Amino acid sequence: MESIDSLQEELKRVSQALSSHQSELHQTRGYLHCILQSSNDMIFATDIDGILVSFSRGGERVLGYTWEEVAAKLVRDFAGDPDDFERLMAASRERGSAHQGEVPFVHKKGHTVYCDVFLIELTNRGGQNVGTVGVCRDITMWKNLQEDLVKIDKLAEIGKMVSGVAHDINNPLANISEISGWVGTVVSDADELTGEDKEELQIAVRRIAEQTRRCRDITRQILDFVRHVSPARTSVDVHKVLKETVRFLQHEFKASPVEIIFDFCERSLCINSDPKMLQQIFVNLISNAIYAVKEKGADKGFVEVKTSKAGPDIEITIADDGIGISPEEQARIFDLFYTTKPSSKGTGLGLPICRNIVKKVGGDIVFESEAGKGSTFTVRLPLT
Amino acid sequence: MDATSDIRVLLIDDEETLLEYLSKRLLREGFTIKATFSGEEALEVAKNETFDVAVVDLKMPGMDGVETQKRLKDVQPFLQCIVLTGHGSVESALESGHQDAFQYLLKPIDYEQLVEAIKEAYKKRADKMNAQFRKKVEELATSGLGSRGIKKALNELRKLYGID
Repeated sequence: MESIDSLQEELKRVSQALSSHQSELHQTRGYLHCILQSSNDMIFATDIDGILVSFSRGGERVLGYTWEEVAAKLVRDFAGDPDDFERLMAASRERGSAHQGEVPFVHKKGHTVYCDVFLIELTNRGGQNVGTVGVCRDITMWKNLQEDLVKIDKLAEIGKMVSGVAHDINNPLANISEISGWVGTVVSDADELTGEDKEELQIAVRRIAEQTRRCRDITRQILDFVRHVSPARTSVDVHKVLKETVRFLQHEFKASPVEIIFDFCERSLCINSDPKMLQQIFVNLISNAIYAVKEKGADKGFVEVKTSKAGPDIEITIADDGIGISPEEQARIFDLFYTTKPSSKGTGLGLPICRNIVKKVGGDIVFESEAGKGSTFTVRLPLT
Repeated sequence: MDATSDIRVLLIDDEETLLEYLSKRLLREGFTIKATFSGEEALEVAKNETFDVAVVDLKMPGMDGVETQKRLKDVQPFLQCIVLTGHGSVESALESGHQDAFQYLLKPIDYEQLVEAIKEAYKKRADKMNAQFRKKVEELATSGLGSRGIKKALNELRKLYGID
């Protein structure tokens, strides 16, 4: 009897212990469930073959797949580099855990997601490996930010370099301008020259002065671009500036099949703006258009310069039937230092400077283009 | 009489080629020109010669334009300075403004603009000097100094105004 009593006692003790363990297990499971549901990290578990047996809510957010979509699939197939990931898994099995920063995964939508990955081995009571648990923190945003910072840093560096170059060019320019001025004086004083020769030389000297002034304006524009100088505000006759610009670019299309067509609105367009900045915009857009037409190599081509009033704004349209811009190029044409021209002809500065200036004078710039057919750039500027 | 012939201009720039041709052109224009290639050299010259207008480059090795201008004014208080600046040095140009620069011109300079500025600076110097001279003489007249005191004071004024 005593043995039955003691057995019953024993049974009671065991069942009490069991229920206590059960509630502990319940609590632990609840705890784990909580973590898996609420963590932003991707937490997964695999069996010994690397097949997914658990996948957290965070994982669904990071990779874009639901648990049902990944269940029973190999975890390495979601990695950007499956072989590399398999090596990380193997290292973890060997050492009990493994860590690696910036592991690429492929999101359901196809883009790459970077994670900081920590792997831990699961073992049974016998100490045998039964699977792997992974905790992966999405660091894509941080990584992008870092890359942006590097880019900004590089741009600032380039900006510094460019402004240094512009400064250095200014000195010889100043010299050329003084020397040509002196030549002009000497020519006016030279009595032994015939009137015709004198005039010829004086025109040449004046041309040198004009061209150095043009260089000076370019270096100043570059320095402005780097230094954010606010624009002047005076009354500007847009038609006059456009005509001057085209005259200025004459040498670029004179001996070519490019025809420049003006289509100005009837009334004169006077706006309150910075004439030098506007000219810089037009020089860039019109010489790009001329270049595009020449590149196409057709017998005949045109660049149309059109103006119109649009409510409180004015619109200047520069259209050409040149080579056009491919969709890939279109995405990048305003990027600093991006150019499709051979390096002797393009700097990759023209359009970014244009856009910068247009923004400074309070306008905007848009374009439409089809490869092989031509491009149309429209600059919209406020009247006042 | 040519309006420019009386104007004594001190040029200070380390860019020798620029200075050579700028001097020639300004001389041809009729100005009296002294060209110096550094702030130090300019100060040395200014000890013995009086100038109406100085044209100073802001960026020079050794003594820069701001410092040169300041020291020149210590020696010749009525001197008007035209400061030439590269485009990126507006901040220094503003600092130069505290030292009373008459005008800043962007390099590469517009020659006509420079000639205009020199003429205007000369006029300003003359006006300032006349006003100051009148004030000083009035002070002297009412000071009650003896004849020897007045002579001494006049000598000082002569020196100050560069009258030989």
